[in-house]
Amino acid sequence: MQLATAAMLLVATTVAACGDGKDDGAKASAPKAPATIPELTTAPQTLSFIWFDWPPAQALEAFANTEYKKERPNATIKVNTVPNANWHDAMFTQFAARKTDFDIAILDSQHIGEAVTNGNILDLTDFVKENIDVNAYNPYLLAAYGQFPQAETGKRDENASLYGLPLLGDTWTMIYRKDLIGDKPPQTWDQMIAAAEKCQADNPGVSGLAFHQANGSDAAAVTYNTVNGVYGGNLWDSKSRKIDGVLNDAAGQEAMDVLVNKMKPLTAKGSGNWFIDEVNAAVAQGKACIAFNWIAASGGLLDPKQSTLGTTRKQILDKLGFATLPSQKTNLVPLGGMGMHVSAYSSKEKQAEALNFMKWFERADVQKKWAAAGGVPSRTDALESPEFLNAGPFNQVYTDSVPRMRDMWNVPEYARLVDIENTNVNAALNGAKKPKDALDDIAKEQQSVLDSSSRKGGGGL
Amino acid sequence: MASAPPPARGRSRRLSDRGLAVAFISPAMLLLLAMSVFPLLWALYLSFTDYSATRGGPANFIGFGNYTAILTSAQVHTRALTTLIYVVGAVGLQTVLGFGIAYLISRRTHGRGVLTTLFLVPMMLSPVVVGLFWRFMLDAQFGVINSMLGSVGLGQVEWLTRQRTALLSLVVVDTWQWTPFIMLIALAGLTAVPKYLYEAASIDRASEWFRFRTITLPLVWPLLLIAVMFRAIEAFRLFDLVYILTNGGPGVSTETLSFHIYKVAFLGFNTGTASAYGILMVLVVIVLTQLYLRYLNKLKEG
Repeated sequence: MQLATAAMLLVATTVAACGDGKDDGAKASAPKAPATIPELTTAPQTLSFIWFDWPPAQALEAFANTEYKKERPNATIKVNTVPNANWHDAMFTQFAARKTDFDIAILDSQHIGEAVTNGNILDLTDFVKENIDVNAYNPYLLAAYGQFPQAETGKRDENASLYGLPLLGDTWTMIYRKDLIGDKPPQTWDQMIAAAEKCQADNPGVSGLAFHQANGSDAAAVTYNTVNGVYGGNLWDSKSRKIDGVLNDAAGQEAMDVLVNKMKPLTAKGSGNWFIDEVNAAVAQGKACIAFNWIAASGGLLDPKQSTLGTTRKQILDKLGFATLPSQKTNLVPLGGMGMHVSAYSSKEKQAEALNFMKWFERADVQKKWAAAGGVPSRTDALESPEFLNAGPFNQVYTDSVPRMRDMWNVPEYARLVDIENTNVNAALNGAKKPKDALDDIAKEQQSVLDSSSRKGGGGL
Repeated sequence: MASAPPPARGRSRRLSDRGLAVAFISPAMLLLLAMSVFPLLWALYLSFTDYSATRGGPANFIGFGNYTAILTSAQVHTRALTTLIYVVGAVGLQTVLGFGIAYLISRRTHGRGVLTTLFLVPMMLSPVVVGLFWRFMLDAQFGVINSMLGSVGLGQVEWLTRQRTALLSLVVVDTWQWTPFIMLIALAGLTAVPKYLYEAASIDRASEWFRFRTITLPLVWPLLLIAVMFRAIEAFRLFDLVYILTNGGPGVSTETLSFHIYKVAFLGFNTGTASAYGILMVLVVIVLTQLYLRYLNKLKEG
C-alpha cells in the first residue's frame, strides 16, 4: 500500500491508455435499455451488484437469493461490497475502464449525473414506461433515485429521463433516550439542543448529542445540509447554478453557527471523525442522550448483543425512542437511500436479467416482502403497509419523513462538491477553521468547480 | 598444440547464448515496458492535456496549463508544506531512534538476535493494518492511549481530530512502523566497523564519546544517509496511513501531496491534472535524490 497512490495513478492512466481516444465521452446521454425485457437465458448465471458494506447489503443478497430464485432458479445474486469511503471510486474507476465486474450499480442519488453524462448506465425511460407503475411511488423518491437532470425541488418531471429505480429509501432518524430526556421527543431544533444540554449536565459521562462529523464520504456534509435545511437555508440556486452568495447567506451562516457553536460542544470529545458506526456505538453503549443516524443503519441498535442498554430488544426499546427530525424554520430532512442502475458495460444477457430483476423487485408484493426483510421500500403502498410499519420502530419515522425530504445537488460534479463541503465542515467542527470562513470557502470553492466544469482546459485542484 | 573444439553438431542459431539471453529477458522486459514505461510515458502525454478518464472525449493539448495550475495553486503549496513537515518530522525521529536502538543493541552480546527480530515486527505489518490498529489505539473516547493517560491523571487528548495532534499522530505511527528499518541498516553498519579501531582507541585511552564521534559515527554515517534517503522517498509518497488514520483531516490538515493527487484523480477524474501532478512529484524526488547522492559521493571521496 505504500505505492497505493502511484498504483492508482497508474490504473487511471492505463485506463486512459486503453481507451480508444475517440470522442466517446461526447455522447450526451446514456445508452437506452430496451422497452421490453429481452428473452432470458436458462443457463446458470450470477447477477452482480456493487454497494458499500453495511447491513442492507447483506439483507439484499439474502432476500434476493431467497425470493428471486423462486422465479429464476438459474440466477444467483451477488452483492459485492466495498468500504463506504471507496464506494464512489470502486464504481467509477470501473466505469472509466469501460468494463465492470458488476451488472447493477447501486448509486447514490447524486452519483446519477456523473454516470449519465459519461454514458455509464442505461437509460431506463422506455423500460419504465412499459413495465413500472410510476404512479405507485412518491414522485419525489422516484425522481431522486432515477431521474436526471433533477430539479432542486426534486419533483418528478414526467418528461425527464429515468436512469434508475428505487432500491432502498432512507433518511435520518432522531434517536433519543426516553429514560433520560422523557418519552416525548423534542419538536423543534432549539428544544432538542436544550434537552441535550440538560441531559448532558444531568448525566456525567453521557454526551448530549452524537452525529456524523467525519470528513470521509458525505458524513459532515449531510450534517451541515440538514441543519442548513432546518434553518431555512439553501444549498444553491439550481437555475443560475449559483452557490456563492446562496449557501453562505444569513440562513446558511446561522445554520453553521448552530452546528459549530451550539451542537458541537454537546458532543463527545474526539468525536470529530465519527460516522455511522461510531454514532451507533455511542448510542448502544449509553454514551449519548440524542443521536442522529440513517434509518437503514439503525437496526443494530436493537440487538442486545451489541448494546449495553438492555438484555432484550424490549429492554432496549424501553430506553430508546425514534422520532422524525425536529423542525425549526422549516421541517426539511435529508434524503438518503439509493437506486439500482444497470451498467452499460454489462453483457446483453446480464442486462436482460438485471431488467427482469428490477421489474420483479418493484412489484407491490415483493416490495412488501422486502420491507418485512428489513429493507426500506419506496412504493407508497409498501411504505404504508403493516409489513413495513411493524418491521422496525423507526419505519414509521421514514414514512412520516418522506414528504419532508430534500436531496443535495444532483450534478456530474457532485464528488468534488461534496469533498469540498466535507473537508470544510469537518474543519469547522474540529476547530481547524472558523465557521464563517469554512462556509465562505465552501461557497467559493464549489462555485469555482461549477464554473470551471463548463470550461476547457486544466484545473481540478 | 590443441586445436579449437569444433562447433557442436546440430546447434541452431536460435539456441545461441545471445538468443537464449534475449528469449529469457524479453518477457520481463516486455512486462516492464507495458506496466511501467508505457504508463509513465502515457501519463507524461496526458499531463499536457485536459483528458478525463471517465468523461472520455478527446485529449485536448493545453501545453503547460496543468503544470502552471499546480505550481501556482495555494492548495498544493499547503499540501507541500504538510508533506515537508511530515517527512522531516518522521524521518528525523526515525533516524535518531533507529540509530540509538541499533547502537544499544550492537553493544549487547547476548540476545541481540531476539531483540532485533522483535524490533522488526512493526515493519512486517501492512500499513493498512497498522493504520487501523493505531486508529483504535488513538481513539479519544475508547482508545488505549487515552485510557493510559487517564490512569496517570492526564486528560483526554483528541489525537486524530485536532490540527496539531493529527499530524503528530501520523509522525508517531510512521515512526513506530519504520524505525526498525533505520535500525536494521544502522546495525549492519555498526557491526561492520573493524574491531581493531576500537582496540587501538582503547590503548590510547580514548573516551567512549571520542570513540563514538571519531570512529563509529563517521563509518556508519554514509550507510545511515542511504537509509534516510529511502525513508524520505517513501515518506514523501505517504498515502495509506493518512487514508486510514485521518482521511486528511481535520479539514485538510493532514492531507499530503499523494492524498491530494488521489482526490484530483478519482473524485473529479481530472486525469490530465493528476498526471501532471504525479510527474511533478516524480521529478521532485529525482532531483532531490540526485542532489543527495552527489553529497553522499562527496562524503565518500572525503
